[in-house]
Amino acid sequence: MIRFENVTKTYKNGTLALRDISLDVEKGEFIFLVGSSGSGKTTFLRLLLREELPDSGRILEAGRDIGALPKWRVPYLRRNIGCVFQDFRLLPNKTVSENVAFGLEVIGRPRSTVDTQVPQILELVGLGDKANNLPNELSGGEQQRVAVARAFVNRPLILLADEPTGNLDPTNSEAIMSLLERINRTGTTVVMATHDKALVDRMRRRVIELDKGELIRDQVRGVYGIDEPAGSM
Amino acid sequence: MRVFFRYALRETGTNLWRNRMMTLAAVLTVAVSLSLVGAALLLKQSAAQASAHWQQGTRVTVWMNPTASASEISNVQSQLANLPLVKQCVYDTQQQDYSEAKQLLPPSEFSALTVGDMPSSFRCVPTVPSNAFVVESTFTSQPGVYQVTAPEQQIRQMNSAIRVLQIVFLALAGVLLLSASVLILNTIRMAIFSRRREVSVMKLVGATNWFIRIPFVTEGFIQGLLGSLVAVVGVTALHIWYPLHNEFQLSTSALWGTNLVVILLGAGIGAVGSAIAIRRFLDV
Repeated sequence: MIRFENVTKTYKNGTLALRDISLDVEKGEFIFLVGSSGSGKTTFLRLLLREELPDSGRILEAGRDIGALPKWRVPYLRRNIGCVFQDFRLLPNKTVSENVAFGLEVIGRPRSTVDTQVPQILELVGLGDKANNLPNELSGGEQQRVAVARAFVNRPLILLADEPTGNLDPTNSEAIMSLLERINRTGTTVVMATHDKALVDRMRRRVIELDKGELIRDQVRGVYGIDEPAGSM
Repeated sequence: MRVFFRYALRETGTNLWRNRMMTLAAVLTVAVSLSLVGAALLLKQSAAQASAHWQQGTRVTVWMNPTASASEISNVQSQLANLPLVKQCVYDTQQQDYSEAKQLLPPSEFSALTVGDMPSSFRCVPTVPSNAFVVESTFTSQPGVYQVTAPEQQIRQMNSAIRVLQIVFLALAGVLLLSASVLILNTIRMAIFSRRREVSVMKLVGATNWFIRIPFVTEGFIQGLLGSLVAVVGVTALHIWYPLHNEFQLSTSALWGTNLVVILLGAGIGAVGSAIAIRRFLDV
């Protein structure tokens, strides 16, 4: 589903973000991307979204070299990738259901599809009764569930999550995690960058660790970090 | 496509309403700027019209000797008729000039004149006022011609004054238009900047650039249109109520021509301005 071939990325200011990364992710896998701040996790995700292009190497998604994609095709690529962020990125002046519907309207889905899909997905994330609330009337955990609903509503092949539990308490983190797990079980490939040691250790999924832009660990049933002091962020 | 149009319309409507203070600012900016542009255009046309009006009144008169023979008169007449510089010529006989003199002169002086003393004359309208001088130099020395008179000094002064006036008004309209464009562009850019978050989310979920752009462009178009309609009201009010000398007063069709220009400018600047303003937020 995702393949990195010797990918290197340096930003214009000279910061080396990723160095010679090669890896394969199968369809339906669940991957944790770990590493300290500045290790290149976010760059990894930005490359997958084609917000950035690698300096050298190739990135393939669903067998297609996304670097070779013409600019106007990029929106169509992104329709196959759902995104969840630490800061939710909801539209503050749209209601919960409007925010979720936005993900479908923007890609030109007909009204009838929107009207059936949105309540369905809100039910799935457990927010059926908050459909007409504005985001600032919800708790952080609820807002993140709306964001997950929006990311998943058009059934993307890949779901990217950049520290989705970073702003949440353990209970809410737990709820988001189980939501991502359910999404993963439908066959969606999930890539999640995180600092949450407890989560990673408990889930026992494939762990990819980056350090100063280099891939230093790719473990099939991994834990957060072998030599990390306990409880560190 | 239908989905898209409905989405674009709804989005434009809610955006205009949600950002109504910004909308108001943009509309007023357009209105004030374009009122000034429209007024300058109107004044420029007034000056042009007044100059045309005055130029129509420019005459050059070829006075014939009272003793000029019929062949001399017809010779001058055919030369004038073949001269492309002259639009039209009217021949006044001695009798006609005599009765004109009767109206112009006090009775005591007039009583000394007889019809035989009066010169007959050609009253000519040159195509361009400055051609009067050519007529003057050509005919002064012709046989049978007594004198050629043209209001030289007035024509020269009037021409240069009107040329300056027209250039000033046109330059004024140009400068105002430029500042209006910049103001409008800036207002729209501020409106879009306040919604860059929304744009980034749209890009994230896979909206195409045109999909993002169209609601903003229609929004700018509507703002420009509303603003220019207000400006049209202002320009029309100026036309109706501002007292101008008769020669400057424009026809209604000239007013509507100006109003049409104002509306096209407003809507165009609005639409193109937002398309330009959103460009940098689309580039990810």
